Amino acid sequence: MGTERVFSIDFSQLDLTVRKIENMTGDQDGASSGILTDLIAEALDEASLMCSVKAEYRIFNGVTFNPAGKTVSIDSTSFDISKIVYSQIRKSTAIAIFLCTAGQEIGTASGAAMKEGDLLKGYLFDIIGSEIVEAAADLMQNSLHKEMNASGLGITNRYSPGYCGWNVAEQHKLFSLMPGNRCGIALNESALMSPIKSVSGFIGIGGNVRFNPYTCSFCDMKECIYRSRRIKPAAAK
Amino acid sequence: MDDILNRLARCVEYGKTDKAASYPPDMKGQDGADELAKQALEQGIKPDEILEKSLVLAMAAVGDRFTRKEIYVPQMLMAARAMNAAMKHLKPYFQSGETKRKGKFIVGTVAGDLHDIGKNLVAMMVEGGGWEVIDLGTDVSTEKFLKAIDENPGAVVGLSALLTTTMENMKKTVAAIREKHGAMQILVGGAPVTMDYCKKIGADFYSPDPQGAVNYLRQFGA
Repeated sequence: MGTERVFSIDFSQLDLTVRKIENMTGDQDGASSGILTDLIAEALDEASLMCSVKAEYRIFNGVTFNPAGKTVSIDSTSFDISKIVYSQIRKSTAIAIFLCTAGQEIGTASGAAMKEGDLLKGYLFDIIGSEIVEAAADLMQNSLHKEMNASGLGITNRYSPGYCGWNVAEQHKLFSLMPGNRCGIALNESALMSPIKSVSGFIGIGGNVRFNPYTCSFCDMKECIYRSRRIKPAAAK
Repeated sequence: MDDILNRLARCVEYGKTDKAASYPPDMKGQDGADELAKQALEQGIKPDEILEKSLVLAMAAVGDRFTRKEIYVPQMLMAARAMNAAMKHLKPYFQSGETKRKGKFIVGTVAGDLHDIGKNLVAMMVEGGGWEVIDLGTDVSTEKFLKAIDENPGAVVGLSALLTTTMENMKKTVAAIREKHGAMQILVGGAPVTMDYCKKIGADFYSPDPQGAVNYLRQFGA
């Protein structure tokens, strides 16, 4: 195992705006009513007070790819990463395993609002929570990119169990390589993370890998809310 | 009668919950869904008429506008909030059995999947379509679906999955339901699900949007 980095991220660093959240609701023209933009602003304010955003990555050198099985071995642990993920990271010479969380509070607040019948507030907290964790993961990935770039290396996009055909059950193996994870993320029997607004996964590292600014065409999720907006390759800046 | 039901429908469609609600601006200061549903009952309009001739029509209009991408999830949820404000006056009649719903709709996100926004939207629209909704929540095991089906004979079931990998659990649950309740209507949905997948796993119907589910259910309602 190589470098390990832990980040405690301030909400203000995430650069979340009402317009960004509005965009995530599907309204990309900014045509939402005043009351909705007010509600988003209010939910963002509440989120800024309740979130404890953390991220970490550990770089594992000495990874072995198995083209026949589309698997990768890291520290003797074999991951069945699916052909989509395999094709994107197979040229890596090292892999950063990352964890990132928005903390327990935003998911709890979303669930509580929905339980009380305020589906709109619950929904807004839910998408704000998703945006927080994605923005935090972007910051973490940016940092990794800078660090690798200084050594003349590139990085790939990030890939997570549960997406692109990579079975979510592989989370258990991923977490076994992150003992005492600083983000405080726990897995349940179904391999789902708690806090719910958390992400985990791999980022490939190497001299012959690249960040792909648009990977949605590889994915099966045709109705995904992220599909309509081109990914900003923060890590490729 | 039509006037108050039309006004109530408009309140629900545009998310005017009650008189105090400042949204939408052109209805500021006017009675909202809460007050109008109460007044309709006081005028002697039957709860099922209020449901059928006002709330169901309003939610169908909301669903159609969402399908046409004229409105988005928040506007649907505002409409749902207004519908709930009206429904709280009708629920006692449903609970007493004086007024019947169209049927029961059991819904849940399959095992291994915690995503619930899409499932909630479908539940809300189906309820707005006049059905009683039994929401099992997220990460629902096959056993829990089967237990709910056993407890609610004649119900229709809806399964949601957002992860490509939990679609496999959807397949297992559908197979188990088919084995035990062969003719049961099974609806499936979620971002990675398609009509092809629906057919492949032996479910009956897939819709990319909530209103599609409501429209499909019309043929089964009482």
